[in-house]
Amino acid sequence: MNNLTVPPLIAFLFFPGGLFLMFGGMAYEWIDRKLVARFQNRIGPRWFQPLADVVKLLSKEEIIPQGVDRILFYLLPVLALSAALASALYVPIAGFAPAYSFKGDLVVTLYMLSVLTLCLGLAGANTPNRFALIGATRTLTQLFSYEAPFLLALLGPAIVAGTWTIGEINFYTQLHPWQMILTQPLGFVVALVGLMGKLELPPFDAPEAETEIVAGALTEYSGRGLALFRIGKNVELLIGLTLVSAFYLGGVGNPLLFVVKTVGLLFVMAVLQSLFARLRIDQTVGLWWRIGALLALLNLLVVALFRALA
Amino acid sequence: MDTQTALTQAQELLQQWTDSTAQPEAHRLDVKVSRENFKAAITAVKQAKWGYLAAITGLDVPATEEAEGQVEGLYQFCEGAAVLTIRVAAPYSEPYLPSICDLIPVATLYEREFIEMFGVFLEGTPNTERLLLADDWPVGVYPLRKSFTGFDSPDEA
Amino acid sequence: MEETKKFIVPIGPQHPALKEPGHFEFSVEGEIVTGVSIRLGYVHRGIEKGAENRSWVQSLYLFERVCGICSHVHATAFALGVEKLCNVSAPPRAQAIRTLVGELERIHSHMLWLGVAAHEGGFDTLFMYSWRDRETVMDLLEMLCGNRVNYSINLLGGVKFDIDHAQRDAILRGVDFLEERSHHYLKICTTDRTFLGRTRGVGTMTREQADEFGMVGPTGRASGNKRDVRIDAPYASYAEFPVKLVTAEAGDLMARFDVRIRELFESFRLIRLILDNLPQSELTARVPRRVPAGEVVSRVEAPRGELFYYIKSNGSDQPERVKVRTPSLCNWGSVTQTAVGSKLADMPMILSGIDPCFSCNDRLVNIQRGDNSQVWTWEDLRRYGIEYYR
Repeated sequence: MNNLTVPPLIAFLFFPGGLFLMFGGMAYEWIDRKLVARFQNRIGPRWFQPLADVVKLLSKEEIIPQGVDRILFYLLPVLALSAALASALYVPIAGFAPAYSFKGDLVVTLYMLSVLTLCLGLAGANTPNRFALIGATRTLTQLFSYEAPFLLALLGPAIVAGTWTIGEINFYTQLHPWQMILTQPLGFVVALVGLMGKLELPPFDAPEAETEIVAGALTEYSGRGLALFRIGKNVELLIGLTLVSAFYLGGVGNPLLFVVKTVGLLFVMAVLQSLFARLRIDQTVGLWWRIGALLALLNLLVVALFRALA
Repeated sequence: MDTQTALTQAQELLQQWTDSTAQPEAHRLDVKVSRENFKAAITAVKQAKWGYLAAITGLDVPATEEAEGQVEGLYQFCEGAAVLTIRVAAPYSEPYLPSICDLIPVATLYEREFIEMFGVFLEGTPNTERLLLADDWPVGVYPLRKSFTGFDSPDEA
Repeated sequence: MEETKKFIVPIGPQHPALKEPGHFEFSVEGEIVTGVSIRLGYVHRGIEKGAENRSWVQSLYLFERVCGICSHVHATAFALGVEKLCNVSAPPRAQAIRTLVGELERIHSHMLWLGVAAHEGGFDTLFMYSWRDRETVMDLLEMLCGNRVNYSINLLGGVKFDIDHAQRDAILRGVDFLEERSHHYLKICTTDRTFLGRTRGVGTMTREQADEFGMVGPTGRASGNKRDVRIDAPYASYAEFPVKLVTAEAGDLMARFDVRIRELFESFRLIRLILDNLPQSELTARVPRRVPAGEVVSRVEAPRGELFYYIKSNGSDQPERVKVRTPSLCNWGSVTQTAVGSKLADMPMILSGIDPCFSCNDRLVNIQRGDNSQVWTWEDLRRYGIEYYR
C-alpha cells in the first residue's frame, strides 16, 4: 500500500506541482462556489468560470496606485503563489508520494502556507488605500489567531505517527486509519475550521468583508496581481484539503480516495460557509483563542495519553 | 392625551409669545410668533416634552406691492394625531433666524436643508456644510425660492 | 499613521455596502469609530421644486417616484392631502384597497430590508432566501397593478384597480406562504448564535434617546417608542381595520429585526381582514382640477416610519409648495449618535438597521450645468420617452 512516485522535474512543473495544482485549485474553487450557491438557492457559476476569471484578469491592465513600493507590489503576488506551489512538493497531492521530503517538512510546509497570508497582509499594508490598510490589519490579526491552534491540531497526528515528515504520517495513517480517526476528532474539527480561517472563507471573511472594507487587503490589486493571489488561494485550498484528509481521514493512498475525501471535506466546508453570519474580527480572535486553542490542547492531551498507554 | 387636550395645552404653552393663532383643521394648530420670541416658544414646547419635531418646512413668500418678500419657517411638531406648527418669518433683506440645534440636536439635518434651499441663515447652527446640493452649485442660488426658475440651457445662452 | 491625524474611512458615494449613493466619513481608532459625518444629495432630482410647475395630477405621479421601494405611501400621502384640501374623500372600497396595497408594500419593503441587513452582516444565505420569498409579494403586486415597483394604484380621489375573486385568492395563498416563511426567519433572527453575535447589543438606542432624537417607525418602536401613525392618526381605512402596535424594549439591532418581522405578521393579519371585509362602493370620487387654496398636513406610516407631507395650494391647478419629510431623514440623526464608540465592522449593519432610503432623502433640485452637459427640459424628456418606446 505504498504511494506511487513521480520524477522530481515533472513533479515540479506539471504534476503534482505547477499546472496540475493551478487547474486542480480552480476545479475545487468551482466546486466550492457551486455548492455554496446551491445551498443559498442560487444557480451558481458554470464549470469554467474560475478559469475564465483568471484568463480575464491576466489579460487586463494592472494598475499601480501612486504611493506604493513598486517592487513589492509586483513581487508579493509572485512570492505568494510560489510559496503555495512549493509547499505542494511535500504533500501527497492526488495520492502520490510527495516529490520531496525530509525530516520536519511538516513544519516547513505549514510555514510555506502562511507565506501567502503574510504576503496578503504586506500587500495591503503596502498601498495607501484605507480599506487595504484595515484589511491588512485584520488579515494579520486573523493569522495570529488561527495559526497557533491550527499548528497544535496538526501536531497531533505527527505525535501519534512519531514522525515530522508528511509522507510518513500519510503512510502511517493508511496503515492504522482507525487509530488516527479515533484519537483526534477534536483536532480534525480545529484543523478544518482553521483551514477556513486561513482561506478567509465565510464566516471568517472579516479581512475581506465587502460591505465594510470593499476587498480588504487586495482592494488596489487588479489584473495580474489579483489573478496570482487568487490562484495562490486556490492552490492553498487544495493543499489544505489534502493535508487534512491525509492526517485525519485515513490518509490518501490513491487518486480516487484523494478525490472522494477532499471533495467530501469541501462539501462540509461549503455547508459551514453558508450556515453562519460573518464574525467580527474581535469575535474571530476570541473564538480561536478561547475555544480553538483549548480544543487543540485537549486533543494533544488525548494524544499524549494514548502514546503513554500504547 | 387626546388630540384636543394636546392642542389646548400647546396653545396655553405658547400663549405669551403668540402673535396670532389659527386652527385650519380639527387636529392642527398654527401659531405665529415673531423672530424675537421664536426661540422662547421652541424652548417652551421642548421643556413641556410636547411631541417631537417632525419637520422644518420652508415657505417662500415672494414680494408683493404692499409687502416685502419673506421666507417663512414652519416648525411642525406632532403629538399623536395633533400637529402644532410654529410659524416664523424672516424678510429677504435680513434673512436670519436663530438655530434650534442647541435645544433639539437632531434638527441639524433639517436646518442644513432649510439653509441651502431657502437662503435663510440660522444663527448658531453647528454645521453649515452642504447636505443635498452639488459641490459645484453656485453660492447664493436658492433653488426653492420662487425666484429660481432653473438655469439657462447652454444652447439658449 | 500619525497620532494627531485622524484616520478616516470613507464609505461612499460608491461602496459595496451601499446600494444607493450616500457619503459617510468615519474617523476610526483601530476598529472603534470616533466620529461620523454625512453628505447626501447624490440622487437629487428636484422633485419638490418640480411639483411647483406641474399640475396636481402630474405631481401625484412625480411623488410616487420619490422612492422606488415605498412608492405607494408617497402617492397615498399626497392623494390624501389633496383630497382633504378639496374636501372630498375617496370611497370606502378605494380606501381599503389603498390600505391593502400599503400593507403588501410594507411586506415587500421589510423583506427587502431583512435581506440587505443580513447581507451587511455577511449572512448571505439569509439574504438569498428572504429575497427569493420576497418575489412572492412582488408577483402579487404585479398581478394587481401590472408593476413590480411604482404601482401607480392611486388617483386623486380614489384608486385605479379593483380586486376580483381570483386576485383575492392569489393574495391569500401568497400571504399564507409568506407567513410560514416569516416564522422561519423570526426563528433564525432570534436564535442563530453567530447572527445574534452581530446584532445583540449592537447600535443600542434607549427609549430616552429614541424620544430625544425623534426616531420614527420600526427603528423607534424597537426602542420602545410607541409611535405609529396608523394608530395615532388613522388614515385611509386604518380606522376600520385597526393595527396592533408592535414594539420591543431592547433597542439594539436584534430588536429591530424582531419588530420588523413581527410587523409582517400584523400585515398578514390585516390583509386577510381587509380581503374578507372589502366594502362595496365606487372606486373614485371626483376631484376638481383646481384645488381650493389652503394648507394641509398629511401623515402616513411608511414601512420606514412616519412620512410627513405638507401641501399648500394657492387655488390654481398647480401646487404652491409641497414639502416631503421622509422617515429616513429623521432616523439619520440616530446613526450619527449611535455610531460613535461602535466597531467599524458593525457600521454597515447599524447603517442598514434604520433601513435608510437614499432616494427618499434626496429629492430636491439638481440641474445639470457646465459646458458639455446636456440640459433637457421636461418637454425634451417627454419626447425622448415617447420616441424611445414607439
